[in-house]
Amino acid sequence: MKKKIFSLVLVFTGVSIIHSCTKLKERVLDESSVVGLTEQQIAEGTIAPVYALLPTLFQHTNLFALQEISTDEAILPYRGGTDWGDNGIYLSLHRHETLSSDPNVTNTWNQITLSISRSVTAITALATNNYVNAKLFLAEARAMRAYYNMLALDLFGIAFQKEDPFATSTILRGDDAINYIKSELLAVEPLLDNTTGPGRITKAGVWGLLAKLHLNSAVWRDRYAATFTFKAEDMDKVIEYCDKIISSNQFQLATEYFSIFDNNNHSNKELIFAIDQRPDLNGHNRMAYFSLSGDQFPLPAVPNANGTDGPAITPDFYQSWATAYAPVDPATADPRFFKKNLIIPVDSCVLGTEFKIDRGIMRGQQYGLIGGRNIPFTTCGTGKYKIGKLYNVTRGKPNLPVNFTEFIDFTVAGSDYSTGYRVEKYEFSSATTDGRNRGEHDIIILRFADIYLMRAEAKLRKNNDAAGALADVNTVRAARTARTAPPPLLTMSLDLLFRERGFELYWEHQRRTDMIRFGKYEGTWTEKTNADKNKRLFPIPQNAINGASNIPGYLVQNPGY
Amino acid sequence: MRKLNQRSFFFGVLPVLLTFFFSVVTIVVQGQQRQISGTVKDAKGSPVALVTVAVKGGGASTITADDGSFTISAKDGDVLLFSAVSFESTEVRVTSASSSYPVVLNASSVTLTDVVVVGYGTQNKKDVTGAVKSLKAASFNKGIITTPQQLLQGKVSGVNVTSVSGEPGVALGITIRGPGGVRTSNTPLFVVDGIPLDNNATGRGDPLNFLNPQDIESMDVLKDASATAIYGSRGANGVVIITTKKGKAGASQLSFSTNLGISTVARKLDVFTAEEFRREVPKTGATIDDKGASTDWQDEIFRTAYTQNYNLTLSGGADKLTYYASFGMQKQQGIIKENDLDRYSGRFNASQKFWDDRLTIDVTLGVTTTKNDRPFYSTLLGQAISNNPTYPARDAAGNPVFVAGINNPLFSLDGEREMSTINRLVGSISSSLRIIKGLIYKLNFGIDNSNGTNDIQSKPNVTPFREGRLETFYNYNRNRLVENYVTYTWVKNPHNVSALAGHSYQRIFVQGRNNSINRFTPGGVEPQYNPGTGQLLDLTTNRPGGYAFINELQSFFGRVTYQYNSKYLATINFRADGSSKFGENNKYGYFPSFSLGWKISEEEFMRNSVFSNLKLRAGWGITGNQEIPEKQTQALFQSSTAGNVSYPLGNGPYPAGTIYARLANPDLQWETSKQVDVGLDFGLLRGALTGTIDYFRKVTNDILLQVPPTDPIQPAPTAWTNVEDMTITNHGVELELDYKRNGKNFGYNIGGNITYMKNKVENSPYTVIASGNASGPAGLTSATLNGYINGEPIGTFYLNQWLGIGSNGLSVYYDKDKNGSTYTDNDRIAAGTALPKLIYSFYGGVTVKNFDFNMNMNGVSGNKIYDLTANAAFTKVNLSRSNNTTAAAVAEPNESISNAAPVSTRYLKNGSYLRMNNMTLGYNFNPSKLGISRYVSSLRVFVTGQNLFVITDYDGYDPEVNIDRNIGNVFSYGIDYLSYPHARSFIFGLNLSF
Repeated sequence: MKKKIFSLVLVFTGVSIIHSCTKLKERVLDESSVVGLTEQQIAEGTIAPVYALLPTLFQHTNLFALQEISTDEAILPYRGGTDWGDNGIYLSLHRHETLSSDPNVTNTWNQITLSISRSVTAITALATNNYVNAKLFLAEARAMRAYYNMLALDLFGIAFQKEDPFATSTILRGDDAINYIKSELLAVEPLLDNTTGPGRITKAGVWGLLAKLHLNSAVWRDRYAATFTFKAEDMDKVIEYCDKIISSNQFQLATEYFSIFDNNNHSNKELIFAIDQRPDLNGHNRMAYFSLSGDQFPLPAVPNANGTDGPAITPDFYQSWATAYAPVDPATADPRFFKKNLIIPVDSCVLGTEFKIDRGIMRGQQYGLIGGRNIPFTTCGTGKYKIGKLYNVTRGKPNLPVNFTEFIDFTVAGSDYSTGYRVEKYEFSSATTDGRNRGEHDIIILRFADIYLMRAEAKLRKNNDAAGALADVNTVRAARTARTAPPPLLTMSLDLLFRERGFELYWEHQRRTDMIRFGKYEGTWTEKTNADKNKRLFPIPQNAINGASNIPGYLVQNPGY
Repeated sequence: MRKLNQRSFFFGVLPVLLTFFFSVVTIVVQGQQRQISGTVKDAKGSPVALVTVAVKGGGASTITADDGSFTISAKDGDVLLFSAVSFESTEVRVTSASSSYPVVLNASSVTLTDVVVVGYGTQNKKDVTGAVKSLKAASFNKGIITTPQQLLQGKVSGVNVTSVSGEPGVALGITIRGPGGVRTSNTPLFVVDGIPLDNNATGRGDPLNFLNPQDIESMDVLKDASATAIYGSRGANGVVIITTKKGKAGASQLSFSTNLGISTVARKLDVFTAEEFRREVPKTGATIDDKGASTDWQDEIFRTAYTQNYNLTLSGGADKLTYYASFGMQKQQGIIKENDLDRYSGRFNASQKFWDDRLTIDVTLGVTTTKNDRPFYSTLLGQAISNNPTYPARDAAGNPVFVAGINNPLFSLDGEREMSTINRLVGSISSSLRIIKGLIYKLNFGIDNSNGTNDIQSKPNVTPFREGRLETFYNYNRNRLVENYVTYTWVKNPHNVSALAGHSYQRIFVQGRNNSINRFTPGGVEPQYNPGTGQLLDLTTNRPGGYAFINELQSFFGRVTYQYNSKYLATINFRADGSSKFGENNKYGYFPSFSLGWKISEEEFMRNSVFSNLKLRAGWGITGNQEIPEKQTQALFQSSTAGNVSYPLGNGPYPAGTIYARLANPDLQWETSKQVDVGLDFGLLRGALTGTIDYFRKVTNDILLQVPPTDPIQPAPTAWTNVEDMTITNHGVELELDYKRNGKNFGYNIGGNITYMKNKVENSPYTVIASGNASGPAGLTSATLNGYINGEPIGTFYLNQWLGIGSNGLSVYYDKDKNGSTYTDNDRIAAGTALPKLIYSFYGGVTVKNFDFNMNMNGVSGNKIYDLTANAAFTKVNLSRSNNTTAAAVAEPNESISNAAPVSTRYLKNGSYLRMNNMTLGYNFNPSKLGISRYVSSLRVFVTGQNLFVITDYDGYDPEVNIDRNIGNVFSYGIDYLSYPHARSFIFGLNLSF
């Protein structure tokens, strides 16, 4: 009996241990660490992620906020005491009091550093790839790494040099960073194509970036200088690269200014380098939805798609337009300021297919579709919609008209839902289901008008060639002929050029860089009085500083934070 | 009910109450006829005091004096009944022959109440050297119980049970001796009939909802490392061992119980009535938007809810076979309309002996199906508390009306719903074989299989517009266990040794999938019945998702206990745990514990002391927490056409982008806790008064965090790592007291427990580890409420300090860094913690003849709650906009109607409370008196009041709240945002045994 029992125990134990003994090797079921791809799939699969974070990086709360809300072009108060409070980060940003814990700074940083990492991965993988386009992709990855580093240098004052994905990056500042970025762009320039734009980086794109790098070198070299020293050889390079782009005859200034920002702008000849947004892939509509009122509904077919009462332009920025053209209204004087799309017929009835909101800088009482969100739009006949005065219904203030005022600041009165003139530069996506997603338009990184303006600036800065600069500026102004083109300027100076860059490039993620370069960033506007030069750079996110704390001295916080 | 001042309550009234409870000694003397006297002694010849002496069948009763003597009046032929705690009752017949009776009481043998389950075995309570508390069915909380953790709320010191909200079946947070981690699950390990459960839920609600509380025999809470080290890498947060009921040899029994619960909302938020609203809005200087009606929007969404519970059990057995079978059904309505939770459960437990009782086979099997329907209740609550009370909810015909400018919750009630079904089967077979005397081999095989489906449906509608959407989540969870172990017991006076050694393998497979479809036709079939009627399906809005993983755990464990002369006790536990989640460089963790016990009361010099029991315990051990995310030790190179990975390269199809989604961390491991525990168990007054006092200190290190890498240029912005030097320390003192007096016609018991606990984070390399995401209400995006910093506890609220309203009508905040800007991250202060300093409870019961009465109160103090609901809704600016608020919104007369309300200490509130958890009055009929004893062996009726009142300063729905607002897996604590209100219930019940 005992023997039997013992053998039974052995059998039991044996069976269950064989059944259960394990090396504890973790099996991954829901993720495929990809194998068996073709060379083409590998090549395309590694270059695509290098670009893929651009739409997020350029979002309203990321690069847009950092480059625009910190300037005189945009201000975002705590709307009505209920919206865009966000722990005060937009107020701090405008006042130049941003902290290293700011989530928007952290997110922007993360998109840039992640994109640099993806470029490094792609460069490593493409080096040994046999696909016919692998060499071109490799050149693009290097160019994009240089571009992302340029953004890091502009925003945070540092660039990262990294070749081996498993080694620790070298952190570069000042001249070292500029030279590194320059050498990378120069190395890949001959290898790039000129037919793959504007959604991907091309030869012309690299020329534009080189022009930008040389133009800003004075700032990036000596960040906290009282006055920047623009070297003649840098300005020569700016002119040289701009000339190359202009003489390539690949690009044209658009006759209709707002067509540059239309949903179908991908084929617009003014675009040199842009983010290729597709509604069914990566597109977002944040540029178009951000500034509109919560009670503006641009799409008759989508009652859920409205605005959000985000930022407006500051009265200071508006006054730069008003005084430039006084006594003429800027909307009349300059087609870049405004484009009227919504002409209301006598019976206030519009075919849904013909309903289109205005573009540009929106002022005063707004009109549009009645209803939205929970309420179906008021109709008037087959396919027709009633158009009327808009009120802040979605804000629970059905008696407060959506009447945009010039006045906006951080006081209670200045923070109400309808304060500030708004910007609808990019066209509202026709494919969106909620106003935020499924954007269609490409978001511009570099366009032809900027090339003329950069060349003009280089001419001015090199030897005060006001005539040459004036010609370039007026070329851009004269090109907008679809409606009445703005009158040519008669004189040129750095101040006028700065103003002109605002007129041409407002809300295009450029203002902060421009203000610093033109020495305006320590100025005073609306709620901003801080003149601390340290604020020319954003803080390195506290998270990143914490993460790097195990190597003392590796990642040093910018002064003043 | 009127609030007591907190301070005076805790320092004044409470001690008085406790003193009252612990000091009452009642003597009931009656009767006459003839004086009978005697002395009661124990088997050793010592006199026994406080023995109840009663005349059987009614009449006089008394208790013995210190010298064991008693006097009682009785007549010849009467039977005297002697009963006392820890002794077997004895009967003596009064005869005319004698007036003086010497009585000897035998110590009662070890019954179930003296056994604790310690993991891979049981021990006599008196021999346990760890901090362990066993709770039997009789002392569970009463009421509508959906989740087993509710049974022990307030019953065990050191254990904090906090429901997320008052929703039926909602997940219950339970922490034993404080949270040891920042991100990890702080839930203890649950072991049901020997199967350690996996904490992954397969749908809505608490994972333990599958257990019918009526099937639970006991819950044993293992608190310190010397008790939990046998569960190694899962022991750091304590272990709760749940044992289901088994049959007993002897008479077969059929029992039926049923009860009906009636629940209403315990407290509504005190928002303005229409009348008050008409008065208050104009006072803000705003124009009121008055639609003329008078609506209590909260009443529109709340209801009187009925809960029915039926339970049928069969149990019994013969010499070789015992069985227990049950069927249970609970149909519970939530106090918010359209919210129902139905549970059907079945259980079959059997035990059969073979081979002259050398082999025992135990089988347990439980099957449960849970169906939970819930409206989008936070949407409903948000609307109900903020909606303008002058707007009508219904038209004259009683139908919901749509008025622009307001969201009528009745539309959401009608159209939006979440429907979840979970089917779960948990079963085990274990065989126990006695090989030679003292040597037992045990094989245990268990399976826990669970399927969940969760439909989130939005019905299409014209006005208000809803597009219509159905999203379905499928979850599957399979947990398999094989264990082999031997125990050997060797006794040779004065030595008593028992040893255990074993191997365990557990494999947990978890899978989830989801899909969705949009745009349905109003008036068509409900989307859940035919998703194919949807018209919009594209990869941007409807991309299906899924995940799956396998966790494997292999362990070797052992235990040695040694007793010398039944006075000196020692226990050593050891477990080696290997987990597939751990990195290559850390595959196995080793978890030892040592503990000693000294039964002082067994010593000669204590022979005549007042202590019937006095035992000193001390233990030390290391345990782990392996609730770390899967796959973190392996790199991931992933390919996808998602928007943030793919990018158009031309006009062709979008290429699948391939990225490193994750870096490998081959060093990743469990969090480690070292715990010291010193405890004293005592019994006084012959065991009538028992108690335990424990001091503990638990230090956790290797804290697991998701952190940014050193070099910012990495494929992923964060990676999981163990922060070696960082520690989280919990230390505290626990005290439990219990006093019992049993008599024939009258008995009572009172008791309570109190825990003082402190938690502290130290050596964190991070400035602030943020949690408690305030996003949701407009304007609070990116604001955080909790922040864990060095020197402060987990659950700390790290906020800007609100100082009041300035002369300009705007809020004034503390400028900590004195830089002139008063509302920045650098001005935040540690403003208190959500973790209570004190957790306490007390209970009492009285039995008078056939009546019995029991009550339980529990409370916490020293904690804070962030009232995000008030922050979002109850502001003057909202009132001026004709949104409803409470009176708190206008408490500051100078406040501007446009003063913004960012997160701040203004909405941080005292979270202390004392709750009358439950109170029961029952009556046991005497079946023989009713003449039905042939058919009915017992008949009981009872009424229970649950959550009768709460004493608190907190003015939200309920201070017991913890809405999950984690950030990056860092746990949030103590946040109330549109939480489901708690119910007050009355339950009427009937128990019947045949």
